[in-house]
Amino acid sequence: MTDSQKTLVAGLLAAFMLFMSGSLFAETDPAEDSKAVAERVQDLKKKVIRLNRDLFILEEDLLFPASTQFVVFLSVDAGKFLQLDAVKLKVNGDIVASHLYTERQVTALERGGMQRLYIGNLKTGTHEVTAFVEGIGPNNRAYKQAATVSFEKGTDTAALEIRIEDRSSDYQPMVSIVEWE
Amino acid sequence: MTRPVAFSLKPNKTGTGTRLGAVAAGCLALLLSVPAVFAEESPERAKDPAYGWVLYNYHQGEAFEALTLLDVARERGGIRGHGDYPELVEGGLMLSYGMTREARELFIRLLEDEYGRSRVTLAPDVRSQAWFYLGKVFYLEGDYHLAYENLQRVDSEVLEEADSELHAEWLYLRAQLAMISEEFSDSAGGYETLIKSLKHSGPWAHYLNYNLAMADIAADDFTAAQQSLQELISVMDAESPNDDLISEHGALRDQSRLSLARLYLRDGKFDEALTLLGAMPLDGVFSDRGLFDYAVAAAGQGEMQRALDALNALSQRDLFLPWREQVPYARGYVLEQMDKPREALQAFTLAAEHYENRGEELVADKQALTEENLMARLNFHRDNDEIVTDSYGRLRVTPADFGLSEVLATEPFQQALGELNELYRMQALLAQREQQLGTFETMLETRRVQRARRSQEAGIELEQQQPDEWIEAQKAFRADIEAALAEEDAEFFMTTEQKALKARLGKVAATLAQLPDDQRTARQRKKYQRMKAYFDWSVANDYGVNRWAAQKQLRELSSEMEQLQTQRSDIEQLMAGDSEHEELASRLANNAAEVQSLKVQVDEALAQARNILISRLDNAREQQSSELRRYRVASRHAQARLADQLFRAGKSTEAAND
Repeated sequence: MTDSQKTLVAGLLAAFMLFMSGSLFAETDPAEDSKAVAERVQDLKKKVIRLNRDLFILEEDLLFPASTQFVVFLSVDAGKFLQLDAVKLKVNGDIVASHLYTERQVTALERGGMQRLYIGNLKTGTHEVTAFVEGIGPNNRAYKQAATVSFEKGTDTAALEIRIEDRSSDYQPMVSIVEWE
Repeated sequence: MTRPVAFSLKPNKTGTGTRLGAVAAGCLALLLSVPAVFAEESPERAKDPAYGWVLYNYHQGEAFEALTLLDVARERGGIRGHGDYPELVEGGLMLSYGMTREARELFIRLLEDEYGRSRVTLAPDVRSQAWFYLGKVFYLEGDYHLAYENLQRVDSEVLEEADSELHAEWLYLRAQLAMISEEFSDSAGGYETLIKSLKHSGPWAHYLNYNLAMADIAADDFTAAQQSLQELISVMDAESPNDDLISEHGALRDQSRLSLARLYLRDGKFDEALTLLGAMPLDGVFSDRGLFDYAVAAAGQGEMQRALDALNALSQRDLFLPWREQVPYARGYVLEQMDKPREALQAFTLAAEHYENRGEELVADKQALTEENLMARLNFHRDNDEIVTDSYGRLRVTPADFGLSEVLATEPFQQALGELNELYRMQALLAQREQQLGTFETMLETRRVQRARRSQEAGIELEQQQPDEWIEAQKAFRADIEAALAEEDAEFFMTTEQKALKARLGKVAATLAQLPDDQRTARQRKKYQRMKAYFDWSVANDYGVNRWAAQKQLRELSSEMEQLQTQRSDIEQLMAGDSEHEELASRLANNAAEVQSLKVQVDEALAQARNILISRLDNAREQQSSELRRYRVASRHAQARLADQLFRAGKSTEAAND
């Protein structure tokens, strides 16, 4: 190798080694200030969750006092025979809620989640609740089913659950409404 | 995924490694499944709707909402029927939401008491996985002490049996920690033992071996580094990875080749370097860098034309990457070495102009560097307006300006970016809550006004009923009855009929008193006496019944009056104030104050996070500027030298001609 070539190689090596060392060995530990911000953000997250909780409870106390509160949940048990698409809820003949489900929501329901479909107020006395469930049933056919229940609203919060279950006896989905004590 | 592939392929960049970046997407699913794994033993159906609702949010990845609902449930007496599982779910959610310290405390409380026993009955593999994820999150955060502490809690055999992939990652992380500091090294053999355990663990072992080679270079042990890299490349060449690992495998192999080629160049082994670099694909992540090194190797071999061709090819690239800044200077240098002084002069002139312009751009850039224009140079991956993040809260982002790629790939920058995003989300949430509180306030005020009006109407109605007079009359009646009872005054308790009879008897007695005293009158007086006696007897006889009836009436009246008094007092109390309203108003005021205080704290944290982010970029820019200055000066010097050389050569030619 000539001297000039050596110079070139040395020059170029110096140049790229500079970059190599910059890219491969720039072992930058998070600086202390970054750590402080990270801890601060964590602390703020905790506070924001607490505030959100307080506001959630305040909202319910304000808008849906326990004496008149009426809640409807929806759950799917397994969901093998029905791919849930939409739900409508009627209370005393009026549609009070309707929901179209995304794939993510359906998955969450199938994994054991319960959706709070509706929250409102009802007077004490007898009321009628009807749920209309739509989706794709067995053999890829459109499926619609309704379930109705009459229940007595007392002075405590009333909670109902629309249950969509798999019925293994005839491989069909089954919709029912149950009351939570 | 932690980072886009193009920017994650620097195994030792942050001590995190490509592998972590590449498997982050997989970890998201695993991390999210941690509570689901915990919940395996729990009942299939939620026994408490509150828990079901938490799971609904949790399975959608809505960690903030799920954590809020868990907190709401706790405030209302907790979740029934699920034991400690909700808390385990909370721990998983905290990890997802980036509350790592809280999650650690919770896991320690739940999974390990003072005797190292778990408070909840959990499958050992689930427990080990929980410690693994916790350790990994701290490792990614750069908190190596906590990472080590939690990774040490993992039961190696249990984890290996449950999930060999996770076990390999666990060994990798421990080896990385041992490389960082000896205090994280186990007494039995340090990371060498871990490497042996990892030997057949595919990608993790490769990443670790690569990082070890880099550590050798850092320690100036180039021979060991060469040997490690040669072994690594030969092992990787012999492997046929699965389809999903092909690109990652190829990228690491190219990176290893590149590093080994640089070591060959360092030792002047140009042949070996050329062979190695020639085997690199032209469309790989490192192909450009490989091409540059190829130019160096070719120049070293004396094949200047090949070197120039490679550099020319690199000069045609449009994308700006900081390391490519050396190309214009290198081009001039090669041309000079090829004894083409005119072309070299032109190349150095162009290079100097390029560095000049680029330097000015960087200065202008630095002066105009704001958060807005930084964000404008980043492309955030979005899903329904939400920026997509990985399971560790890092944003999925690629640079629109490739000059940012290196700084963007660093873990601290990613963290700062993620924190900034979190703070903005908090700011938006607080603004939303502030608005909501305003609505609540209006609602409460409206309710208070309506209530005041109704109270006023009730008060007027109450006053119209003259309750005080009724109360007085009742008191007088009671006093009369009590007096008559004391005196056993039968006449007082006479019925209306008896009173009428008594009046008629009185009239008869008065008439008889005015009649002459004859026989007829005497007969009538006798008859009157008999009637009077009968009347007195009947009054005395009915006394008990009449007294009871009067007392009953009095009791009923008293009860009614008491009710009236209570109602009146209630109405007066309600008119005077509303405790429920006051309680709600007080909560509202407290929450409003909390929102304001948090807004200030978030703003301060935002300013801090913003400064960190900008200063990190600023430092990177400063480094680039300084490198550009060096190249500019070198180009100018070369330019002057060549101009002088050409001038002298010109003069010599003229003299010769003369």
